[in-house]
Amino acid sequence: MQSKTVLFIVRRGINALITVVILIVFLFSLIHIIAPSPAAMARIYAGSPHVPPAELLTIEKTYGLNKPIYEQMIIYMVAIFHGNLGVDPTYKVPEISLIAKFLPRTLELVIPAIILSVAIGIFTGALAASKRRKPTDHVVKGVYLATWASPPFLVAAMLQLFIGYDLGLLPAVHMVNPLLNTPQNYTSFPILNSIIARDWPYFISLIHHMILPVIALSLISFGIVTRLTRSSMLDIMETDYFRLSIMKGVPRKKAIYSVALRNASIPLITLIALLFAYSVAGAVIIEDIFDYHGMGWFIVHAIYTLDYIAILDTTIIVGLSVIAANLIADILYGVLDPRVRLE
Amino acid sequence: MIENVTHKQEEKKDTQGKLNFYLKMVYKDKTGFAGMIIVLIFFGWSFIQGMLEIFSGMFSDPHLGSILLPHNPFNFNYHISMQGPSSTYLLGTNAEGEDILSRLLYAVPRDAFIAVLVVASAILIGAVLGITAGYMGKMTDEIIMRVTDAFLAVPALILVIAISVVLNATYTGAIIGLMVVWWPIYTRFFRGQTLKIKNLDFVQASKINNVSKIRFFFRYLFLNDTDPIIAYAALDFGNVILTYSTLAFLGIGLTPPIPELGSMAADGVGALPTAWWWAIFPGLAILVIVIGFVLLGDRLQDIISNRINY
Repeated sequence: MQSKTVLFIVRRGINALITVVILIVFLFSLIHIIAPSPAAMARIYAGSPHVPPAELLTIEKTYGLNKPIYEQMIIYMVAIFHGNLGVDPTYKVPEISLIAKFLPRTLELVIPAIILSVAIGIFTGALAASKRRKPTDHVVKGVYLATWASPPFLVAAMLQLFIGYDLGLLPAVHMVNPLLNTPQNYTSFPILNSIIARDWPYFISLIHHMILPVIALSLISFGIVTRLTRSSMLDIMETDYFRLSIMKGVPRKKAIYSVALRNASIPLITLIALLFAYSVAGAVIIEDIFDYHGMGWFIVHAIYTLDYIAILDTTIIVGLSVIAANLIADILYGVLDPRVRLE
Repeated sequence: MIENVTHKQEEKKDTQGKLNFYLKMVYKDKTGFAGMIIVLIFFGWSFIQGMLEIFSGMFSDPHLGSILLPHNPFNFNYHISMQGPSSTYLLGTNAEGEDILSRLLYAVPRDAFIAVLVVASAILIGAVLGITAGYMGKMTDEIIMRVTDAFLAVPALILVIAISVVLNATYTGAIIGLMVVWWPIYTRFFRGQTLKIKNLDFVQASKINNVSKIRFFFRYLFLNDTDPIIAYAALDFGNVILTYSTLAFLGIGLTPPIPELGSMAADGVGALPTAWWWAIFPGLAILVIVIGFVLLGDRLQDIISNRINY
């Protein structure tokens, strides 16, 4: 049994690694298709088409652009696995330091958003399943279909308009009140920094500015949790053991919320990776609208400046984190539900 | 020869019967029917307005493109800049004094065109790769599915952004980006379906009857795979429209004077507290269109998985 689990984890790990390699090869070929010559590649690394030839030559040398293409691919891949993503042409600092600065801020949005959307999703899904084919069920379905169908910028703009501007309850833009002094950088997470520095006004301001983007992110992604919770709960309510618990005299409410919901929540683990991917993609728009300086804002600015290096590197990093999330979810699911391992 | 003819007639009857059945089932459900109406209006309007736009380009007559619209969508008029919704300008005007409703109606055909193009290409690529993977199995299957996984790993939006920005963020770049990213999920669908049916008797029998390879591929594998894919594709039109509008919001794939739903919303976000209609109405327009596809797709999914009667 133990060796089987290990085998399962190893197999999933190898699959994930192959996926990463294929992704990197794809992105590498993409950039080399639009810049087929070493000089064109050097211009991309320099970030501007008007660079003196001497500088182009030094760039060609540092990135090894004169070498054969397969050798370059191997160099590129090894560099990525060493955490060396090149120098950003706009900011003139290593790309990895920019990502290390912006990614934690996005995680500060995405992780609470995932927790919130799982909570909303499980609650509404359980509600819909227990009131199946009654008005509540239809209302829940209507709400989540509407949130599925709404573009992220509509959700964000509505929240900003109604809660931020009309009611004035929460700040509509920025990450933190710009008048406050930033605490020292202990970690790359602003919230942790403010806690370590015991800078409570800064901490409260951060939380205030986080609420609207987090709500927007969870609004666009909770529907999928609702749908899965509802359908897997309905499946369980058909099983013999659920009927048995009703027959034994467990109250219907208790049977639904403890027996059915607990068993229905195991498949939800696989959703977490999907939710993570959804939220990171949604964060691109939502951070742009709320002027929250995270990974999404960074990507949007890279689009405006046509900064290819930053775009490709962020794609690789997002891909790596989603693949890692998938791997973790797979392993967790395999450990919790042994039937999956047999596949 | 005679045998062949009857075969063809049967095929025709079969597909027609299926279509009628789906229509009847969609018609029975109020929400599914509403979705179908929205989708029909969307495609109908897109076809008419799209034709007019093409003709106005062909005959270089700018009036022809706005003949059905309440106002000229390109008419700058700073006297009526940023006016709220009124009886003349139903959805208000933007900073240049252009009528937002006219611009919305003018922008819609592009979304329909892109949705059809991307979903059709995704089904085509997905069918070829998925059926090959499912039918051949072994190494071919392994290679195709690993590539598919790699494309599925990155969120679609991020990968589309990467591809279209590398292609200089042009309109063609956006379309190519969407087409490159959209096929993997269909590959999975077709592979799963092919695995299900490849050992059924009628597929084996077709081999004995020496059916030609193209016919075998299309009639026996492709057409029998399509049921769950139709429902997903109906939903997916909405997804493509959402993703494309998000791209347009970020400024990818624009060809300036021509309006886009997403970029209109992006322009309006800057003027948010005062001129709210500028950002909200294009967003709502997308919501309504996508909801049509979602309702229709959801209903079709129910019909196909036989969940109608619960």
